[in-house]
Amino acid sequence: MTTPPSELCFHCGNAVASGSAFAVCIDGTSHPVCCGGCEAAANLIVGQGLERFYEFRTAADQMPRYSRRNWPVYDRQEALRRYTRLRRDGERELSLQIEGMHCAACAWLIENSIRQLEGITDIQVNASSARAEVRFDPARVPLSRVLERIHTLGYQPQPLTFSAGGPVWMTERRTALKRLAVAGFGMMQVMTYAVSLYAGAMDGIAPDLAQLLRFVSLVVATPVVLYAAQPFFTAAWRGLRMRTLGMDLPVALSIGAAYVWSIWATLRGRGAVYFDSAVMFTFFLLLGRYIEMSMRHGFGLHHDAIARLLPESVMRISGLQAERVIPDELCSGDRVRILPGERVPADGEILSGRTDIDESMLTGESMPRPRAPGDSVIAGTLNLTGAVEVRIARVGQDSTLAAVSRLLERARASRPHVADVADRVAAWFVGGVLLLALLVGVYWLHADAARAFPTVLAVLVVTCPCALSLATPAALAAGTTRLAGLGLLVTRGRALEALARADRIVFDKTGTLTRGQPQVEEVRLLSGRATREQCIAAAAALERHSEHPIARAFDGAAAAAVIDVRSSPGRGVEGRVGETIHRIGRADYVHEICASQCAAALPEDARSRVFLGDVDGLLAEFVLKDGLRDDAVVAVQRLRALGLEPCIASGDRAPVVAEVARQLGGVPALGDMRAGDKVAFVRSLQDQGHIVAMVGDGVNDAPVLAGADVSVAIGSGTDLAKVSADVVLLGEALAPLGVGVETARRCMGVIRQNIGWAVLYNATAVPLAASGWLQPWMAAIGMSASSLLVVLNATRLLAERPPPGLTAVDPPANHAPRIAPA
Amino acid sequence: MNILYLLIPLGLGMVALMVWAFFWAVKRGQFDDLQSPAVQILLDDDTRPVRNDRNPRDA
Repeated sequence: MTTPPSELCFHCGNAVASGSAFAVCIDGTSHPVCCGGCEAAANLIVGQGLERFYEFRTAADQMPRYSRRNWPVYDRQEALRRYTRLRRDGERELSLQIEGMHCAACAWLIENSIRQLEGITDIQVNASSARAEVRFDPARVPLSRVLERIHTLGYQPQPLTFSAGGPVWMTERRTALKRLAVAGFGMMQVMTYAVSLYAGAMDGIAPDLAQLLRFVSLVVATPVVLYAAQPFFTAAWRGLRMRTLGMDLPVALSIGAAYVWSIWATLRGRGAVYFDSAVMFTFFLLLGRYIEMSMRHGFGLHHDAIARLLPESVMRISGLQAERVIPDELCSGDRVRILPGERVPADGEILSGRTDIDESMLTGESMPRPRAPGDSVIAGTLNLTGAVEVRIARVGQDSTLAAVSRLLERARASRPHVADVADRVAAWFVGGVLLLALLVGVYWLHADAARAFPTVLAVLVVTCPCALSLATPAALAAGTTRLAGLGLLVTRGRALEALARADRIVFDKTGTLTRGQPQVEEVRLLSGRATREQCIAAAAALERHSEHPIARAFDGAAAAAVIDVRSSPGRGVEGRVGETIHRIGRADYVHEICASQCAAALPEDARSRVFLGDVDGLLAEFVLKDGLRDDAVVAVQRLRALGLEPCIASGDRAPVVAEVARQLGGVPALGDMRAGDKVAFVRSLQDQGHIVAMVGDGVNDAPVLAGADVSVAIGSGTDLAKVSADVVLLGEALAPLGVGVETARRCMGVIRQNIGWAVLYNATAVPLAASGWLQPWMAAIGMSASSLLVVLNATRLLAERPPPGLTAVDPPANHAPRIAPA
Repeated sequence: MNILYLLIPLGLGMVALMVWAFFWAVKRGQFDDLQSPAVQILLDDDTRPVRNDRNPRDA
């Protein structure tokens, strides 16, 4: 047995038990590492000459977990066909989603490490999206080799099903950038010509030169209107076909009218041209949309989340033969064998065998459920204790997992209330603008036909919903940026408004108010033969070889050196610590190695207790509990002070939920809620007129999250929930929620000021424009100046300092050992 | 002012060139990741990675 920790692991930053046999040697200096996984990763990094990674990374790595991965299954022809694309030169292309990347240094490390493999032509790792694009020659390097190498470095690669043209968000972003560039460059040019023309109109200009300037303006404005402004035209047309008056209609009208009128004026060779107004207008609006899109894409929020809940391979049985295949190859009716520790690849029915299944990712139920022949199992859940044979019933799009994500899509699409109101107001506003323009046009046609068009155009431009469609995003962008600094990532602009107005906040319990993973609450020594620290070190060492969720309770504790490890999934782990064989796991499993039958009629409540023993009997009992987050109480109090009434709605058992509610100071709590119940509960609150914020983390929360007015996901939660949430809390702390609400309210204040200003501006400018006092260029300048003012007002949000006592983003939690004090 | 008849088309040409260059850069993925290049310049240096087989598992 070993003594207490003295140093930190060079690779993952966890404590290292002194006397640890694991170490990595760099330039002759030996650095201690905590376990075999870290040693393998560090040795690989150093062995390839990439040790500079350690100088430049911004956070310690996660500890690589031992997991049985079956990479060679990816060398099957079916896998190659599904995940890669054959290039003309015989090489193949592959996209990977990589989990566990935390900074640009990781991207560098993976690129450089993989590039050293034979047969790799090219690899590009994108740090923001955590994706890698690999080009390789399958004849010289098998796909499994690439995946295994990334895995050894301590990351989790997930091949993505090949889709032509890359991911949607990337195409969207590239197109938006191109449109923005065309509009920007075009605006610079046209403004130059326009200033010359205006100056010429006052001071005199040669007619042929003026005509040249007009003609060149036409040439430059054409791609801007036809290419860059295309989204406005298509959106306006779509709106018209659906019989709604959208914000895009007056935009499309003023751009289109200004352009067509100016072409006519150019061809006639007289009359004013308004290319400048059209182009400037396009650019500013595109800029606002681009900012909004960047916020929507966020970072790392476009993962192929469903694929990651499925296993990478599965044992298919046909007759007497068994072969490893990828889940995509399964058809309904296939028989598969699922071993303990494996995930279920598709929905099906158990034919033989008994087991416990961890369904927490779908139901939020924290305790595994027993399953016997005839029972159904759901894709994505984790088989814990026994091997079972399953007949596959539903695969792919028919599976429950796919249904959950569709439910999510639907809930997201029918997001009610706030959006509705905004659209209705916009429709009235737009209708009013069009009517006004029409009236003005009719009046001037009778009064002075020559001034009719410029006046109508001036009205359209002046009333351009710029304050509403650009100034609001500007405030939202500033607010969002500031929140990101506090560790709150807003993925949808509308979320801030709902967050500011919310008066009810519903927490899911598991993983939200609690950590979502067991902690060692109590260590009871059962013999005098080992100290508390020795027991913890031995347990931590053994549990690193287990995939059971309970094993995570020991992450972060200093581990002793262990060899000869054998794992019996569902029961426990055995290994040689020091001189003697130790076992950790269920009491009966540990008892099996006791030479003397230990006196123990211990309670068989094995799921929340873990026993450690050696050949001479039991050494210690660990009592595990899913504890409250450190700042849960403070955060809830703060939210209450801000006028948000908290309550808990959890899928966990009612007594457990009630206990959490009591610790939080008597928060109303509901237990035993299924996903449908939670949706109904949220809806009933909304029907009473409350604005509901929902905080959750599980996949089962996703429909509820989407149904709430604003949804918040904890960053450590599952990724599907992240994707559906309006706000993602980075890090483990709940405290930024309160600050987030305050910032959101200030942001709404700024928006109100902006809109107030815009209304004031319109109220003065519209009569001026309608009466023919304003030329379109003056209207455009007025509009731009008012936009500028509004944007500058928004930047005030950025400057404000966080209140004292609140650090920006909390450090990752895996640095603090999670063993509670004795 | 006749010089304008030369300068304005010249300016047009330069704008076309800029737009083309920007499109080219977007297409090559230069704007896809604005985060890691800033750090990569610090990481990349002249020493070529040495290839050796200190790690038998990886040989």
